[in-house]
Amino acid sequence: MGRKTKKIQISPKLVYVLVTIVCIALIVLSYIFADKLEPVKYAISNCFAPMQRGIDTFGSKITDKLHMFSDIDDLIEENEKLKAELENVKSENQMLTQEKYELNWFRDLYELDMQYLDYRKVAARVISRDPNSYINEFVIDKGSEDGIAVDMNVMSGNGLVGIITEVGKNWSKVRSIIDDKSSVSGMFLTTSDKCIVKGNLELLDDGYINVEMINANAEIYDNYEVVTSYISDKYLPGILIGYISNITADTDKFSKHAYLTPAVDFNHIDAVLVITTLRESLEGLEE
Amino acid sequence: MWQIPIVFIEVIIAYLLQTAVFTDIQMAGVVPDMLIIIICAIAYMKGRVPGTATGFFCGLLVDCTYGSVIGLFAFMYATIGYFCGYANKIFDRDDYTMPYVLIGLSELIYNLMYFVFFMVLNGKLNLGWYMVKYIFPKIIYTVFVSLLFYRLLNMQNNFFESRKNRFKKIKKEIDKEIVNENS
Repeated sequence: MGRKTKKIQISPKLVYVLVTIVCIALIVLSYIFADKLEPVKYAISNCFAPMQRGIDTFGSKITDKLHMFSDIDDLIEENEKLKAELENVKSENQMLTQEKYELNWFRDLYELDMQYLDYRKVAARVISRDPNSYINEFVIDKGSEDGIAVDMNVMSGNGLVGIITEVGKNWSKVRSIIDDKSSVSGMFLTTSDKCIVKGNLELLDDGYINVEMINANAEIYDNYEVVTSYISDKYLPGILIGYISNITADTDKFSKHAYLTPAVDFNHIDAVLVITTLRESLEGLEE
Repeated sequence: MWQIPIVFIEVIIAYLLQTAVFTDIQMAGVVPDMLIIIICAIAYMKGRVPGTATGFFCGLLVDCTYGSVIGLFAFMYATIGYFCGYANKIFDRDDYTMPYVLIGLSELIYNLMYFVFFMVLNGKLNLGWYMVKYIFPKIIYTVFVSLLFYRLLNMQNNFFESRKNRFKKIKKEIDKEIVNENS
C-alpha cells in the first residue's frame, strides 16, 4: 500500500533537460573559474593515480607473461646478436672514454659549459593514457612529491617525448610532442636553422609529424637531426626531437615545411625520464 | 536504489580498465570504450533515468581526470545514456543481439559528437579519415570487448532482479494472508 505513494514518478525528459542544463552551467563555470576548480580535479586525480598504478602493474604483468612464451625464441636469437654487438661496443667505448678525457680537457680550456649533458633526471612510469585514442597525453607515476613541476621536459631514451602540463601530488600529466596541440621550437643540429615542430594526428599514421616555418634558404636534406632550439622558453636546448624528410617549399616561397620522424617510439613508451631542470632556472644561471 | 553503489564500483573498474589496462593491449591504435559499454548496459536494463545518471557520472569522471573543461564529456555520455534508455521498452534479459547493436551505435554517435566538439572546433574536418582510422576500429573493438562484459553486467542484473522479485512475491503472499484473515 505504502509503496505506490512513496514512488515518485519523474519524467525522464525532465531529468535529461536538467542534466543538460547542469552540464552547460558546469562548462561555463569551469571555463570562467578554471583556477578555482583545479583543486577538485586534482583531488580526484590524486585518488585515481594509486589505483591506476596498481592496476597498470597488474596489466603489464599479464601482458608480459603472455609475451614471454611467444618471444622466447626471438630472445635467444637477439641475445646472441646483442652479445656480438656488445663486444664491438665495448671496444668502441674504450676509445670513446679516452676521447672524452681529451674532450673534457679541451672544454676546460675553452671554458665551455656542458650543462645539457648533465641535467638532473627522475625516472617515471606511464600509468594511464587518455581514454580517447585521439589525444596523446598520458599520466606518469611521479608528482610534486618527487620534485616535478609544470613545464619540465620529458625524455625517453635519447629523444624528446613531451612536456609536463599538470602536476598532482603523486601523478603528473605529459603532453607528447606528437599531440595535435603540441608545438615545439626546434633547430637543425648541422645548420642551426630554426623551425617549429608540430604534432599532427593524421600524419602520425605513417609515423611522421610536421615541421614548419623552415627558412627557405636553409640548406637541409633528408635525415638531418632536429633538436630543441635555444630560443624556446619551455624546452631545454639540444634535446633530440627526430629526423626530417619530405622537404617541400611552401606556396609563398618564403619558407619550407617537412615531415619529421620522432626519435622516440611513441607506441611503446613504458618508462620516461623527467628532466627536473627548468628552462627558466637555466636562464637564471646563465645570467 | 541500493544497486547504485554497485554501479559506482562497476564504473570505476571500467574506467581503470580503459585508462590503465587496455592501453597496454591496444589494437590498431585504439582503446575500447568501457564506459560506453556500462552506460548502454545500464540504460538498456534500467531505463532512461538511470542511463542518464550513469552517463553523467562517467562523464564527470573523465572530465575531472582528463578534460579541459568540466561538463562536456558529462553531457556527451548523459546524452548516450538517455537515448539508449528508450531501448529499455524492448528489454529482454535473454536477448543478446540488441545490446551489442546499441553499444555499436552509441560508440558511433559518441565518436561523432567527439569529432564535432573537439576536431571540427579545432579546424580538423577530415571526417572520412577519422572514420577509417579511429572510429570503425573503435566500434569493432568495443563491441568485441562488450561480448564478454555485457554478459557479466547482465548476470549481475539478473541476480539482483530475481532477488527483488522474490521479495515482491513474499510480500504479496503476506498481503493475501492479511486480507484472508480480515475476511
